[in-house]
Amino acid sequence: MFGYVRPNKSELLVREYEQYKAVYCQLCKVLGQEYGPASRFLLSYDCTFYALLALAVSGAKLTEHKKTCAMNPLKHCRYLAGEGEAYQKAAALTVLLAYHKLQDDIADEGFLKSLGKRLLRPFFRRKARKAGLRYPFLAESAEKAMAAQAEAESAQAGLDACAEPTARLLSQVFGELAGGDARQEMPLSQFGYFLGRWVYLMDAADDLPEDLRTGAFNPFIAKLGFWGKTALTEEERRQADNFCNAALNRTAAQMALPLNLIDLMNFEPIIENVVQKGLPELQREILFLHIKEKPRREL
Amino acid sequence: MSDPYKALGVSPSATDEEVKEAYRSLAKKYHPDQYADSPLKELADEKMKEINEAYDAITAQRKAGSGQGRAGGYSYNNVGGSRGSAFSDVRSLIMAGRIADAEQLLNGVPAERRNAEWYFLKGSVLYRRGWLEEAKDHFSRACQMEPGNGEYSAALNQAMNQGTGMYGGYNPNMAAGGCNTCDLCQGLICADCCCECMGGDLISCC
Repeated sequence: MFGYVRPNKSELLVREYEQYKAVYCQLCKVLGQEYGPASRFLLSYDCTFYALLALAVSGAKLTEHKKTCAMNPLKHCRYLAGEGEAYQKAAALTVLLAYHKLQDDIADEGFLKSLGKRLLRPFFRRKARKAGLRYPFLAESAEKAMAAQAEAESAQAGLDACAEPTARLLSQVFGELAGGDARQEMPLSQFGYFLGRWVYLMDAADDLPEDLRTGAFNPFIAKLGFWGKTALTEEERRQADNFCNAALNRTAAQMALPLNLIDLMNFEPIIENVVQKGLPELQREILFLHIKEKPRREL
Repeated sequence: MSDPYKALGVSPSATDEEVKEAYRSLAKKYHPDQYADSPLKELADEKMKEINEAYDAITAQRKAGSGQGRAGGYSYNNVGGSRGSAFSDVRSLIMAGRIADAEQLLNGVPAERRNAEWYFLKGSVLYRRGWLEEAKDHFSRACQMEPGNGEYSAALNQAMNQGTGMYGGYNPNMAAGGCNTCDLCQGLICADCCCECMGGDLISCC
């Protein structure tokens, strides 16, 4: 996915921040173990959030240990291992989403620009196949979402229809975390639906100026009536930012209710921080501060 | 029922005040009013019932003290009804949670019979499906066609309010701007300087 789902660091307690980081590092480690050292570079905040939620919902027993960081031998990291398959599933999801993102980029970009990505494709495909064999439902959900996405975009569908595949994907993937418990499945999949919708809308809003410049498809262009424009005046930009922000807020407002009903055995403050503080902070950074270069791995 | 203290997330040694506080914050979280339009309503009701029972159990156990239970507690009711509308069948389907059936009926209505109520109901269906933007557009169309209707304008208002960031997300007018104590003093001192330049004085001691 896109790296938008992350906590607002300054609002976390220090111990919560350390816990989050330990989950992040553990996911990195599991990625390395399961899919080879190169796949560590695919680590993302989104999949870290998935791991966090999976551990929280299952109430897995956690054990912490300290070791040298694989990427930086001078650094010591905490690792928070958990019982069950939360990290394995998160690693598989990371690899699968990275593969589909690559496919998507190759389809969108010209031959020369995508040359590097074309060369990487066999590597990604191998990893994705491995992940798919282990967790067929994840592979299936991701594949369906990508196909539906391509269809919606080629049909120039409206905003809601374009957001549907990503929303559905997270809805299925989160719903599965309930492990068949119907009482939990409903709020989990609802929460996933709106988080996925939020991620899609955020990504579309983030890409709007770039898509206008290159003429790529973006559902906000039709919605705001920016047909045929390549650049926006300051006034238009402000109008677009406010429109996107309102759409994102409406979606964020729907997340609180299902989240209230999910039984979180661990990490409750961190997950609430992500939803109540992290997502709004990102809206602020992207739509109002226009931070284009997102700080990648400052954690 | 399982341990009532666990249900409220407090330890058995918690004071009456702490128990009350825990109950209040959970009741706010699960309060069914906010779930009125949501498929999660049943689950929220169940949770609410659980904590109500837990709170009653604890207060009963502790009645050596003041002996009062949950004074009234949180009660709620649901409104909704057809009031002789042209689409009462659609309304009852929506209330029963059969969203797909309701949508099918609505889509079968020919264009010339699509009045304000049709747009409102279609908006409600879209809202329940999570298609929030189109839902808002339909509510606003319904309000344009029949401006005085309280039901339609309430739905539109809700959609607009949720867009401001009050209920989640980011509100640009709240974090930015504003005026803290430091700004206030600075402003006063500046005003004083200006006054002094012109021969007057705002703050006599400086």
